[in-house]
Amino acid sequence: MSHLVIDNVSKSFGELPVLRGCSLSVEKGSVLTLLGPSGCGKTTLLRTIAGFITPDAGRIVVQGNDISDMPPNRREVGYVFQNYALFPHLTIAANVAYGLKVRRTSRAEVARRVEDALRLVDLSTFADRYPAQLSGGQQQRVAIARSLVLEPSVLLLDEPFNALDARLRLTMQIELRKLIQRVGITSIFVTHDQMEAMTLSDTVAVMHKGVVEQFGSPLDIYDRPRTAYVANFIGRANVIPGEVANGHFDDPARIATQAPAGPAVLVVRPENVTVEPATAGDAAPGWPGTVTFTTALGPTVEYEIDCGWPEPLRAIAPRSPGRPQAGPGDRVVARIADPAAAVVLRRQDGAHVH
Amino acid sequence: MRLASGVVWADRIGMAALAIVTGFSILLLVAPSLIVLAVSIEPRGYISFPPSGFSLRWYEAVFANRQLTDSVLVSLRVAFSVMLVCLALGVPAAFASVRGAFAGKGALNAFLLSPQMMPGMVIGIASLFFGAYFAFRASDAMLILSLSVFCLPFVIRIAMARLAGLDPRLDEASANLGAGKLETFARVTVPQLAPALLAAGAFTFIEAFDNVTVALFTSDVRARPLPVELYYLVQFDSSPVIAAISSLEIGLSFLAMLLIARTVGLDRLGR
Ligand SMILES: Nc1ncnc2c1ncn2[C@@H]1O[C@H](COP(=O)(O)OP(=O)(O)OP(=O)(O)O)[C@@H](O)[C@H]1O
Ligand SMILES: [Mg+2]
Repeated sequence: MSHLVIDNVSKSFGELPVLRGCSLSVEKGSVLTLLGPSGCGKTTLLRTIAGFITPDAGRIVVQGNDISDMPPNRREVGYVFQNYALFPHLTIAANVAYGLKVRRTSRAEVARRVEDALRLVDLSTFADRYPAQLSGGQQQRVAIARSLVLEPSVLLLDEPFNALDARLRLTMQIELRKLIQRVGITSIFVTHDQMEAMTLSDTVAVMHKGVVEQFGSPLDIYDRPRTAYVANFIGRANVIPGEVANGHFDDPARIATQAPAGPAVLVVRPENVTVEPATAGDAAPGWPGTVTFTTALGPTVEYEIDCGWPEPLRAIAPRSPGRPQAGPGDRVVARIADPAAAVVLRRQDGAHVH
Repeated sequence: MRLASGVVWADRIGMAALAIVTGFSILLLVAPSLIVLAVSIEPRGYISFPPSGFSLRWYEAVFANRQLTDSVLVSLRVAFSVMLVCLALGVPAAFASVRGAFAGKGALNAFLLSPQMMPGMVIGIASLFFGAYFAFRASDAMLILSLSVFCLPFVIRIAMARLAGLDPRLDEASANLGAGKLETFARVTVPQLAPALLAAGAFTFIEAFDNVTVALFTSDVRARPLPVELYYLVQFDSSPVIAAISSLEIGLSFLAMLLIARTVGLDRLGR
């Protein structure tokens, strides 16, 4: 039984449906990332779990108990706000002590646990300062300590790294991941940064327009995207329109598939595309095209190839100094390196296809 | 070079003009008070400036005048009550206006703030007629009620401005940490509202203490508040006793400001 289950949760603001039947489950002690573009409903889902929003339909279950109707102050769900929401009139120590004081914990125990929590996030020396005197990264750690000190059964974090610069962001991601592992709290992160999702989480849920489009381990989603949208959101992908007939997608090589006959798309990662100069009498099937753009990035080189489709085909190949590379204007043939790693999807009506 | 020196000269002239305007403004603001102070120490029995000597006899006269000291007590009592009434009604009203979501909120808001658009005299006369209709006599209670109507918008406006500046996420954070609504109000909202409440309280107190236009119509003849008493006094008596009592008021206001400046800081009052 999963620790946290979100069962078919829907929510509309007036006429605007923001969550449309979201379902998820998180195992005890594991980290889930909600990934999706701006406005897809990530914050709304998180706020629903915390109890700030009452869902129109669906249930939220923690450890087998339906908490959907519980007021936010009775749920044991920690929430780290996007802007941290520290109490400006209280010191760091008093901020961290807040929840314990509300629970009428004895003075001695409050002191002990606050000290432990501040040590955990490495802020012991800042106990007597006020939030305005701290940097963004330090404030974020206070916000985390303030939630962790209560030992909640679930911790929710809404884009916790947004305010940090790139370097601090990476350090904090790793630190936070270690911290959560050490404490063993079931956590949900919100992000729209797919690298962050890959770094932090055991499970990723890709959201799109209020629904969870796919839900699984980061690599599973990368390797087996269920929709063209997911393929493009996690990593980059070439989405090539075509047809499935007799259990095969026929362009350029015969790729076996379970997909039903009919319009379909082929999803190929750029690193799964090889590029070779076009030579006469070449037997292996491929996509002929013209290189339009080349970017050499040290270890790899990226090609954009015009194959006559609306979107150029992208390919990433290893680069080495001795090997000649194709330049703009060169006629080339692109081929799929590993057909087993290419994914065939049904082309849905109105689906987003490049 | 010429261009540069031209710019410098333009700057200097600008600065000089600014200094003159500023000085003049300060003079206009402060001079009346200074003249009142000067007149109050005049030993002779009529108002003159500059004073012909130094004497505290008019201050003695103030304290010896039973009618005056009584009216000060009335004013203090009324001002304090008005302050309490306005805070008790105004803060929740401000909460509803800022945080609430209900039909007719805009209309209610305009209604609550409308006394501010009305001359005090209108409120005074209206209260008088209202009282007469229900056969209420002009009394302390009438005075407190009419002044509360007059002062309520101040409190609501100050509290609203501060409330609008508060991050509603702090309330959510508090709830998330386990606090109920009342506890959140006490632990998060009130401490952040405190300077604004102090400011609103101080303004209301001073306004209620000082008001003539409303009080003229609604105060009890036998227990007039100080400003009304003074209003009648100046009609018959032009001795510096008026100046003495005004000086005492100036001193009191100054003390109050000093106290606020030392405790919360004047700059935080406006917020
Ligand atoms: N209280 C509200 N009232 C009305 N509409 C709202 C409310 N909260 C959110 N919305 C709308 O719901 C949609 C989803 O908002 P949400 O904040 O959940 O997005 P998000 O995925 O967190 O986006 P971002 O990555 O930009 O933070 C948006 O279109 C937003 O305008
Ligand atoms: Mg958001």
